[in-house]
Amino acid sequence: MKVAYFSPLPPERTGIADYSALLLPALRRRLEVEVVRRGARRAPRGTDIALYHVGNNPDAHGWIVAALRRRQGVVVLHDFVLHHLVAGLTLGRGDTDAYLDAMQRDSGGIGRLIAHGVIDGLLPPVLESRPDEFPLVHSVLDHAGGVIVHSRYVVEKVRQSGFRGPVWRIPHPAWREPDEVQPLPLPRPASVVIGCFGNLNPSKRGPQLLQAFAKLLERHPDALLVLAGGISSRYELELQAAEHGLRLGETVVHLGYLDEGNIWPLLAACDILVSLRWPTMGETSGSVIRALAAGRPLVVSDVGWFSELPEGVAAKVPVGEREVETLAAFLDAIASDEELRRRMGRAAAEYSRQEHDLDRVADLYMAALEEGAGGPAVRDELAGELARAAWDVGLDARSPELDELSTRVRELGVGL
Amino acid sequence: MRIAVCAPQVPFVRGGAEILTQNLVDQLRRREHEAELVTIPFKWYPRARVLTEALLWRLADLEESEGRPIDLVIATKFPSYAVRHPNKVVWLIHQFRQAYEMDGTPLGQFGPDPFDRATRRAIHRLDQVGLGESQKLFAISQNVAMRLRTGNGLEAEVLRPPPQQLDYRCEEYGDFVLSVGRLDRAKRVDLLVQAVAVDPRLKAVVVGEGPDGPRLEELVHKLGLEGRLTFAGRVERDELARLYATCLAVFYAPVDEDLGFVPYEAFLSQKPVVSTNDAGGPLEVVSDQKTGLVCEPEPAAVARAVARLASSHDEARAWGRSGMKLAEQASWDNVVDRLLSA
Repeated sequence: MKVAYFSPLPPERTGIADYSALLLPALRRRLEVEVVRRGARRAPRGTDIALYHVGNNPDAHGWIVAALRRRQGVVVLHDFVLHHLVAGLTLGRGDTDAYLDAMQRDSGGIGRLIAHGVIDGLLPPVLESRPDEFPLVHSVLDHAGGVIVHSRYVVEKVRQSGFRGPVWRIPHPAWREPDEVQPLPLPRPASVVIGCFGNLNPSKRGPQLLQAFAKLLERHPDALLVLAGGISSRYELELQAAEHGLRLGETVVHLGYLDEGNIWPLLAACDILVSLRWPTMGETSGSVIRALAAGRPLVVSDVGWFSELPEGVAAKVPVGEREVETLAAFLDAIASDEELRRRMGRAAAEYSRQEHDLDRVADLYMAALEEGAGGPAVRDELAGELARAAWDVGLDARSPELDELSTRVRELGVGL
Repeated sequence: MRIAVCAPQVPFVRGGAEILTQNLVDQLRRREHEAELVTIPFKWYPRARVLTEALLWRLADLEESEGRPIDLVIATKFPSYAVRHPNKVVWLIHQFRQAYEMDGTPLGQFGPDPFDRATRRAIHRLDQVGLGESQKLFAISQNVAMRLRTGNGLEAEVLRPPPQQLDYRCEEYGDFVLSVGRLDRAKRVDLLVQAVAVDPRLKAVVVGEGPDGPRLEELVHKLGLEGRLTFAGRVERDELARLYATCLAVFYAPVDEDLGFVPYEAFLSQKPVVSTNDAGGPLEVVSDQKTGLVCEPEPAAVARAVARLASSHDEARAWGRSGMKLAEQASWDNVVDRLLSA
């Protein structure tokens, strides 16, 4: 079976490009895979099924969504909330009608009205205010023959959106920690090093983390917070830090974007990894996946995919009024107890081996693609055979007996 | 208790699984349960027919019969475990192996095209539902349990069935090797035929019928083995017991078999078993130089193993008797207790 594979790939700097670079070799050991060149309009001839990786970056995924609209296939939904993508592909290209249509498809008349308000400058962009309320996922799901997601949370969301096709939950694959990683040298020694990786946008709860870290310093004055990832403005970060009595370059260090070669040494240098979110777009986190593989204790927000991490692996902070206090308390507890850190680290590594094993993930991909490619024809044949038998004994499509028949078929997972 | 034992039936075909399910019903009745064998004809081809067959089981209503509830359903092999019942126990004889470990081998059924691949995946899903929803999973051997773990991630308790009741005895260690079983390629009777061709001193009797019969007979003819290798066809129970009682040893070397009753039947007749190291389930009881001989799946190796037993009846007797102790441990009391206490 031959698969047309649509995805951004390195040297593009996106999490999904890294994801595909990791997955592709394992997938190619199982299936014939043709990687579609960037910008191609459709899947190559002779391929049995197309696999489209969709994330929120319009530059990286615009051509992929366009190809999906030309040929149905299996969509890997890396985020559930696709407002950023759709807004970029519509408003970003001056196509206000398409944005209005997408908002209406998502939320009916109210959605269209809000879109008008945004276009006319009467309302702030939904993208900046409440994208999670208007995920615009139908712009992609309407063209999908099946959907691959990474979490139960998104399975539920996709089903709630009314998608009736097959949905496969396939965990994010884990990178293998390189052998003999040397911890990255840090600007100063610290009693405990807390890491936070990834682009520091507002949904990563930067202010809350800084505030909680300031509280932690009261009990662990030698602690160090390392922020690794892009920021919109260093000045803004300095201001936020200063608001809590923190000085950038002293108790808080910002390292900027790290390539793969430096992520592992930095993880090795960290005692705790923090990954907070709100709102969640339904995403998984590549840094959390790496931290699991490296056996690092985690503190995460109790939302979306992050909530699905086992209790012994991650401390989960509810988003809300007590968020900062809870986060500070968790950091203190973990920072103060070396044995707890070891236990959480061991549990994280074991969980990574079981849940996020690359070969397991590739096997699940193969199963999904095989079902996606031939499933409709199998269901048609089964339906045809049942319909002929029903017709022979005098039942037609309105006969109530057929309801039971379709219920039983669905129960067996071969739904019609 | 009112118990329905569910098993598919390939019309006009009778083998170990049919004997096992009928024995289970008989044993339940002996213990004063109201037991019934429920069967639906099974045909696994062409194409997606195998799924329709599973659906027939799903549509069957076994929750009650004539207004009285059925207390327990014991499903046995694919696709009978697709049946719905609030108290369903599976005693797994085997899954649809063409969709699992046989896939991609000459014994597989599904090709590389998307339709076949998707049909195979649909069987996996169906198994996940039908087996996963049962109150308790048992498997007839370690081999079957291991396949279930590998293929579906489900755990089963191993519950070995005793062999059929025959007048087991040992009269002599005669001059022929006995093969018992359905004649299909997976049972690999051709290995015995070729072994007999390798060593002109060997003789064999083959009991059983099946689709591979004509090919095997042609092979015997081509190799000029008439007179040394006899096809006895399907034999009555007394005749089978007599053949066990008078043979030198029993050959049993299917490809990765689920379990197979033949080794136990051989052991109860105090006969060693010649098997191969890729036979799967039988190797849980056939141990090299303890209860028989386990060799490479090559004609010359099989011939050497049989020749060794022919030249050393003491070894044949000792290993046969060791096997008998093993076979005597499998009891219906234990099987019924476990199935009903699940």
